[in-house]
Amino acid sequence: MSNGMWALYAREVKRFQKLWMDTILSPIVSVGLFLAVFGVVGSGRDVDGVPYLAFIYVGLLSMNLINASISNPAFALIISKNLGTIIDLQLAPISPWRVGFAYAMAAVTRGIITLAVGVLCTMWFIPLSGISHPFLLLVAILVTGIEFGILGVAFGMWAKNFEALTFLTTFILQPMIFLAGVFYPIDSLPAPWNTISQFNPLHHNVNLLRFSVTGYADGNPWISLGILIVFLVVAAIGMHYIVKKKLIAE
Amino acid sequence: MNPLQITNLTKTFKTPKGELLFAVNDVNLSITPGSIHGLLGPNGAGKSTLISLISGITAPTTGSITLFGIDIAKNPNAAKALLGVVPQEVVVEMAFTVEEVLYYFSGMYGVPTNERMDRITNVLNDLDLSDKRHAKAKSLSGGMKRRLMIAKAILHKPKFLILDEPTAGVDVALRQKIWDLVRRLNNEGTTILFTTHYLEEAEQLCESITLMNHGAVIKEGKLKDIQQEFSKNSIHFELYDRDVSHALGVLSTGSEFEFPMTNLAEDIAMLTKHYHGNIKTIRSEAASLEQIFLTLTA
Repeated sequence: MSNGMWALYAREVKRFQKLWMDTILSPIVSVGLFLAVFGVVGSGRDVDGVPYLAFIYVGLLSMNLINASISNPAFALIISKNLGTIIDLQLAPISPWRVGFAYAMAAVTRGIITLAVGVLCTMWFIPLSGISHPFLLLVAILVTGIEFGILGVAFGMWAKNFEALTFLTTFILQPMIFLAGVFYPIDSLPAPWNTISQFNPLHHNVNLLRFSVTGYADGNPWISLGILIVFLVVAAIGMHYIVKKKLIAE
Repeated sequence: MNPLQITNLTKTFKTPKGELLFAVNDVNLSITPGSIHGLLGPNGAGKSTLISLISGITAPTTGSITLFGIDIAKNPNAAKALLGVVPQEVVVEMAFTVEEVLYYFSGMYGVPTNERMDRITNVLNDLDLSDKRHAKAKSLSGGMKRRLMIAKAILHKPKFLILDEPTAGVDVALRQKIWDLVRRLNNEGTTILFTTHYLEEAEQLCESITLMNHGAVIKEGKLKDIQQEFSKNSIHFELYDRDVSHALGVLSTGSEFEFPMTNLAEDIAMLTKHYHGNIKTIRSEAASLEQIFLTLTA
């Protein structure tokens, strides 16, 4: 990282540190509530030998990672545009690519902290004996965090107001999460939803993370990894285009 | 090498009706090293658009801008690193303290971590903000926020500083402080581009000015030269005996008479000779910037 990009990254990390309630408490409450409800409903069930509680646990943590990664830069940038402080990014001698990357890395940092807090507070109640593929888990976390951090930057730069952000979370992100196999294997979905889910990038994030932890996969995890890397590259190119367009007015 | 060189710069926008609006129209401008240059013009003249273009936050339609020889379109980061900008609108980070705002913003300009705190201390002292160092930026008064904006712009020690109406809406004491700071930065070698609606402020601070209207430069040069150009039209004088004035066909302007001037020394010699000891006072008054402004933008 260049000095400027590092400072911008540090500033964005500092910003979410000030919002510790949102960063720390929110994921605990969210994961805790889901586990409480689904733990009762799915008690005694399993998915291909994986206890249902462990199955949805990884799905819920993936959901938290995705939500934290996408919402952190999106909120920060929309607030910045509303306040007018976006001019700091326009004036600073940092290229649009580096501005986007600094925000995305801050988003990953928040995502990982959120994930870690969620795991530390809930892992004691989950019937998991260990992590099946630790290195792949690290890759999956980074790829997922960066990917949604990048999407959050692109969306935050593009969106004009909070209404647009609500649109993103309510009408795009939530349906994608529900079709990603967070709560159930996508094979159990009726047609055409099971086919549609295959084209949902979130499904591949959840699939890869779940495979890394439990060893269970809805489809080939290596294909999921390949799809995610392609998606990451496309998202990064798109983010660069949007950030450049928004920081230097034409 | 000039700190700022603008060549044939044009910026157009499309109106909702699809017509082309020339916000900046074929502007050529160069600012000499170490000067304080005033950018003046009525509302909508194109000053803010020009500043956005120089700052690299708006792309020009045609033309070029170089800062110390660096083309801002081709090498924006190198050019921006030499530039400090105090935007017209006062905006502050809601979550951060004054120190945090300055710490991270100077970092974005590449100021090394181990130098930032010392620089922050010095700048806050200069701007009388030391006691607000750990206060939330959002809790500052309007004048303090304005000073914080200035602090952000000078912390990385830019070679070229743009101040876009830095004294708009501030009280007299703060305005004086800002003037002192501008003079001091200029004495230390910073070239300054200054926009203001207070013309007496431009007269106090600027050595040279550019006057814009309808997106174009309508006058540019040394302030003294421009004032001389607009004042060389006439000599004003008072006579003890008003009845003799008709002899040269001079115009009466209240208690004074006005004589069309061609050469100051020769005309005064001629008038003194013609009116003998009848002249009570005589002067060639420098035109005020306000008079020039109103004449050119009318």
